[in-house]
Amino acid sequence: MAHELETRILLDHAEDPALATLDGYKRLAGGYSTLERAYKEMEQDEVLKELEDSGLRGRGGAGFSMGKKASFLPRGEMAKYLCCNADESEPGAFKDRELMQRNPHQLIEGIAIAALAADAGHAFIFIRGEYSTQADILDRAVAEAYEAGYLGTNILGCHRDLELVVHRGAGAYICGEETALLDALEGKRGNPRLKPPFPAVQGLYGGPTLINNVETLSNVPRIVAKGADWFKGFGTEQSPGTKVVSVSGGVRRPGNYEVELGIPTRDLIYGLAGGPDPGHEIKAFYPGGSSSPVLTAEEGMDLPYSFEAMAAAGSMLGSGSIIVADDRVSIPHMALRTARFYHHESCGKCTPCREGTNWTVKMLERVVRGEATPMDLDIISSVQQNIMGHCLCVLGDSMAMPVSAMVNKFRPEFERVIANAGAPLGQEEILPILQGVSS
Amino acid sequence: MSEQRQVTITVDGREIEAIEGEMLHDAARKGDVEIPVFCYEPKLGDPVGACRMCLVEIEGIPKLQTSCSTPVREGMVVHTRTEQVKEAQSAVVEFLLVNHPLDCPVCDKGGECPLQDITQGWGPGRSRVIDEKRHFRKPVELSPLVAIDRERCILCYRCVRFSQEVAEDAQLQLLERGDRTFVGTFDDRPYVAPFHGNITDICPVGALTNYTYRFRARPWDIEQAGSICTLCPSQCNVSFTIRDEKVKRVIARDNHAVDDGWLCDRGRYGFEMFEAEQRVGEPRLKGGAPTSWEAAIAKAAAGLKAAGPRVAAIVGDASNEEALLVQKLVREALGAPHIDSRPSRGAGRAELVRLAQPELSAKVSEIDEAGAILVLGTDPLHSSPILDLRVRKAIRRNGAKLVVATERPTALDGGAEAIARYAPGETRHFIGELTRALGGAETVATPLVETLKDADTVVVLWGERILREDGVGDSLLALAEALGVAATEGAGLLEIPDFANARGLREAGCLPDAGPGLAEVSVAGHPTEEIRSALEAGDLDGLVLFGVDPLRDFPDSKAWEEAINSASFVVSFSMFENASSTKADLLFPLETHAEKDGTVTHPDGRLQRVRPSASRPGNVRSNIQVLSELCSALGLDTGINSQPTAFTALKTAIPFYSSIEEADLGGQGVRWQETSSASAVPSLGGDVGTPSERIAEEERRSPAAPATNGSFDEVPSEEGVPAASPSLALGTYRDLWAGPITELNPPLKFLQPQQRLEISLADAERLGLQSGDQVKVSQNGSGVEAHVLIKERVPEGVCFLAEGVAEGNANGLLNGGPVRVEISKLERVEA
Amino acid sequence: MSPVDGPGIFNPNLPVDRAVTEGRVPPRAEEQIPELHEVDCPAALRDQFEALMARYPDRKSASIPALWLVQQQYGWCTPEGIRQAAAVMRVTPAYLESVASFYDLLHTSPVGAHRIEVCTNISCWMRGGDELLDAFKAAADGDDENFFVTGFECLGACDIAPMASIDQRYYGPLEAAEAGVAIEQLRAGAEVLPDKDQAKRPLAGDTPIPGAGS
Ligand SMILES: Cc1cc2nc3c(=O)[nH]c(=O)nc-3n(C[C@H](O)[C@H](O)[C@H](O)COP(=O)(O)O)c2cc1C
Ligand code: SF4
Ligand code: FES
Repeated sequence: MAHELETRILLDHAEDPALATLDGYKRLAGGYSTLERAYKEMEQDEVLKELEDSGLRGRGGAGFSMGKKASFLPRGEMAKYLCCNADESEPGAFKDRELMQRNPHQLIEGIAIAALAADAGHAFIFIRGEYSTQADILDRAVAEAYEAGYLGTNILGCHRDLELVVHRGAGAYICGEETALLDALEGKRGNPRLKPPFPAVQGLYGGPTLINNVETLSNVPRIVAKGADWFKGFGTEQSPGTKVVSVSGGVRRPGNYEVELGIPTRDLIYGLAGGPDPGHEIKAFYPGGSSSPVLTAEEGMDLPYSFEAMAAAGSMLGSGSIIVADDRVSIPHMALRTARFYHHESCGKCTPCREGTNWTVKMLERVVRGEATPMDLDIISSVQQNIMGHCLCVLGDSMAMPVSAMVNKFRPEFERVIANAGAPLGQEEILPILQGVSS
Repeated sequence: MSEQRQVTITVDGREIEAIEGEMLHDAARKGDVEIPVFCYEPKLGDPVGACRMCLVEIEGIPKLQTSCSTPVREGMVVHTRTEQVKEAQSAVVEFLLVNHPLDCPVCDKGGECPLQDITQGWGPGRSRVIDEKRHFRKPVELSPLVAIDRERCILCYRCVRFSQEVAEDAQLQLLERGDRTFVGTFDDRPYVAPFHGNITDICPVGALTNYTYRFRARPWDIEQAGSICTLCPSQCNVSFTIRDEKVKRVIARDNHAVDDGWLCDRGRYGFEMFEAEQRVGEPRLKGGAPTSWEAAIAKAAAGLKAAGPRVAAIVGDASNEEALLVQKLVREALGAPHIDSRPSRGAGRAELVRLAQPELSAKVSEIDEAGAILVLGTDPLHSSPILDLRVRKAIRRNGAKLVVATERPTALDGGAEAIARYAPGETRHFIGELTRALGGAETVATPLVETLKDADTVVVLWGERILREDGVGDSLLALAEALGVAATEGAGLLEIPDFANARGLREAGCLPDAGPGLAEVSVAGHPTEEIRSALEAGDLDGLVLFGVDPLRDFPDSKAWEEAINSASFVVSFSMFENASSTKADLLFPLETHAEKDGTVTHPDGRLQRVRPSASRPGNVRSNIQVLSELCSALGLDTGINSQPTAFTALKTAIPFYSSIEEADLGGQGVRWQETSSASAVPSLGGDVGTPSERIAEEERRSPAAPATNGSFDEVPSEEGVPAASPSLALGTYRDLWAGPITELNPPLKFLQPQQRLEISLADAERLGLQSGDQVKVSQNGSGVEAHVLIKERVPEGVCFLAEGVAEGNANGLLNGGPVRVEISKLERVEA
Repeated sequence: MSPVDGPGIFNPNLPVDRAVTEGRVPPRAEEQIPELHEVDCPAALRDQFEALMARYPDRKSASIPALWLVQQQYGWCTPEGIRQAAAVMRVTPAYLESVASFYDLLHTSPVGAHRIEVCTNISCWMRGGDELLDAFKAAADGDDENFFVTGFECLGACDIAPMASIDQRYYGPLEAAEAGVAIEQLRAGAEVLPDKDQAKRPLAGDTPIPGAGS
């Protein structure tokens, strides 16, 4: 039974495998009744208003108001599109996987209703290629929905059409960036585009396009069913609703926990994820995925888990993924892992990101090999500064922010690592971690 | 086009007038504020904002913005020199150098390298990078002509964008991701496409270099000389890189009115032939023995004098001034009326004069803005390559609608809205049907009409070769009438001729029935084909060939052989030894377009200056001098002894050139239609009726309307053809790479076309042929060998062969009229 | 584009690519879009390509799915397979290779029949992802024919760290020792690590916290 700290709304009945089927979804969650009402009784603007009033913020990282973004789409005859961002590739994030796997119809219903709000006739779920189990589940669910007349032409006899295609990616984190996603969906290499124009104005195939995260869209049916006020009854004023939070790393029960936004971070990490292994302390954590500046335990543990609190603390809630580092983790090595990820995933289009990630990795490798001087730490910091705000998209910043946070907050440890030629703090139990470093 | 609004912006405290919406980088430049860029190159289309070199500060926007992709707005306040900007820019340079080998001392780009310059001007000045750089095997062959050094590449996207968005060949691509990204091709195959040399011009580093130039020179021991490429009618502006008075490299010299700053590989790499051993370096006697200029001129004069009025001349590769002189030689010195400048039949003076009317003619830059483009009876890629790029650009950037109407599939088909294929020899009929369809009649051409009608302006690109069919000139004029191009600004006809300077030659008087300035002549002479038959019949004795090789390039090679053999005296002026020149009693050398001084006239009427850039090899002399000496040896004092005097003579001879000054020709050249003397172009006196009336008239007199509606399945003798006699209609085309260009330029040898029989899948199956099969293609008696190439887009019932190829030249099969061929399979050879 | 159809002289249904060039080329240079008769694309595969193209407003959108198909059919994105897709899709092979080479799951060089991706990103690394990778490499050593083992970035399963994706299915948390077991099961064609299949796990909140009451 769910822990009292959890508030399962998106994950309601998620423990029951039947929920993934159309019948189960209808039986357990009254599935598709909201779609029916929206299509039969509601105008585009009513739906839009509900979403805007709810204050639902994007769950994909940027935290932008979903309703507002939908309202940016120009009206008119031109073909409009809706893309569900299911690329979930940021280290530490795995909540969309859970939502799609356990409750695919909730997402499909959300997409269909959002399409009404965006007046989109064509929708796509861009799911990362690695998630083939979940993509298969979605394929089946989409087929069921077409079968039942919730998708396709003249939906429920309301003279509205919606085509929904599950589009599998092929392994590139950058495709989660909304404009890169569009290029990938158009069959190109997933390179981000210049903004403006923004996708809402000129996106897929040049048409107005609404792009939202899986979790964002999964929230839509209940908001439209129960109303904005009901939704605002959860969470904080600036972060209404619940959030499925992925907790992983140095905790005893890693996993996804749906909680009201604003609960103490400690409850998530200790109360739900079980805290660190016995005999160990938590040293630091990424509050919002690997792109968020790490917080030390002291800084972060007692902050409310909300967009605004994390921003105030100089970090971010991002995709809502907590990676915990206990006292066995060598921060310089963790910085290296982080940098390596962004170096590997940089699309290569813009210079500061392409070369900055590569250079940072090389410098950090020297640091952990002990072939660096404290001056290299200054260079590392200045290189992060040179990346920030200079790139085409924010992938570059996504490395620069956490890396510079680590170098600045844990500089003495970096210096010790350099000095001890790579044997940090002489703690045997972390050696296993170190052996991996050269891999 | 939406008209442009002026706005005022402030850059570094300086007020600058700019056009609303233009990119900040360009606007700033107008105020002499230089913002460094790598990826930005407007010629390549929309900005990509990838290199991040051009970051600047715009008041009111917190983050730095890329000036290459920021459209200017009224009142914009910009700073390009603040600390924040300087740091960002030097950071980007530092990042670019993290992986750059800095091997400048051994790099061809050294000294003319944007990366060097920008590092100098905006870089950090010291290096903080001690880490290993990325490595690639280097340099590798991207193509037989271009080397790529991937370590030097800064991934600016320029070359791949050229391939995607200008040439549209989509061959050059980025492979892999992140800092592992590199520029490459499918399966490491060579990048072979007719414009690929341009990537060496636009690469901002030493990543892409020409094998023809590697280690040949350093920037400080070369000079650049601007001239015109006369290897095809496009007359692109080039800049010759000269070292020791020899051409070492050809690069583009941007002229929006002509070439948009691109070159085809023909023009770029076709310069080593200037030094070829086949180059004629001095006057020669039959059999090849050199002789002195004095002796040569005396002998030529004697031989021609003997033949007198029974001399004929055919002019091909010549400047306007040379053409004028040849025509003086023939008409004035010898009193012979027989002169032409076309490889086969052509239109008569009346049609040519009408076609020359300024209101009918479109200029190259009008392609850009055209609502619709009709490509008629030509494939620009082969006949005027740079226009192929121009049409693609019009479609891609301005949404121009393309209609292609040709015998043979063209390189542009893929971008066409509507395509018509008519049978060889059915051009006139087809144009007639199209004209009737435009008039509302329901004809086979109706599907093309919608596109043409919807467009506000239509530009017609037509191939001179369609005039080989009788009466096509008038049909074309009728079509122009139906399209209303004369009355429409920005609409018109643009000819793609057979010879590079065809228009200049005609206007200089190299026509049987028209003198300089297309003036009427008292006695009309023989056109090319009649010259041939008259020689065969012994009605003509002497022949002057100036820059032409009939045995290779003219239809019906056999008949030409006869003709030349039966001529009693042949003088050939030629750059290189060729089939015809070796038969000449006297052979004079010619200057190349890198050596001569003169003017040429673009098909759209633009006069441009060919400037002497390199020294003449051997004992070659100025063509102008040689011709005027020959004239005086024949007792005609032309008063011409130099380019200036020749140009003055040209202006006097051609009234509609008369107001053009040498000075106008510098830089971009000038269209005579846009000068005050344009009104002096002849028009036909008296009421000749509209073209359509004349056509109606003509049809009444000779109801020779084609027996078919032009469709292949109805070509006479086509239906009921027993599969045993696999007779197909033959179409021919001039291949971009056919001729000396690929034979005399070592670097281009690999492009030498073999004869390919292009045939439809259906016919191939019917004849049991596969691609690569070797076949004999024959037509009463004469035959050529070819490899089969099955092409989906070749219509059933027709096949195509290339003209002018070294072996199996299709000209051997042609006889002036439509030709049907039999195809028989020889033993299979693996392709 | 509205291709012309009509009687006789019109050539209907022309492709609308702009990528047709006609420079003559040396033997190995395929600089054009291959025509269908030049590639021998299995009819079934061709139908699948066309079905994919039909799913999208612009046929080019099918390029990633089409490359997935090529990989299924030929084990990796072989030049011949790419040419077949290119011929059906009317794009250049170079274009498709460029796309394929951008993505980590599409292979432009040969790989083993079974693909094992071991996550070595932050959370898995903390819990022994590197050792797990070594264990898989050791277990599959010398059998490149059948196994392609590689370290991988975050696979979106940090809850089961350290984890691996085996033939596109997730397993974890894994002991290094289980690598050998999995390899043997794959060799034997048996079900792989049934009790470590991610798809079969309950919600984390419904499981006891290890080493703690409730
Ligand atoms: C490098 C990068 C990767 C991203 N990856 C994802 C992702 O995997 N899933 C996602 O929903 N959003 C991702 N985003 C955010 C998207 O760009 C976009 O903001 C989001 O999908 C909008 O949906 P939302 O408003 O519902 O959050 C990423 C952004 C960047 C810059
Ligand atoms: S080769 Fe040159 S032009 Fe092409 S991407 Fe590299 S640097 Fe740019
Ligand atoms: S770090 Fe291994 S799956 Fe996320």
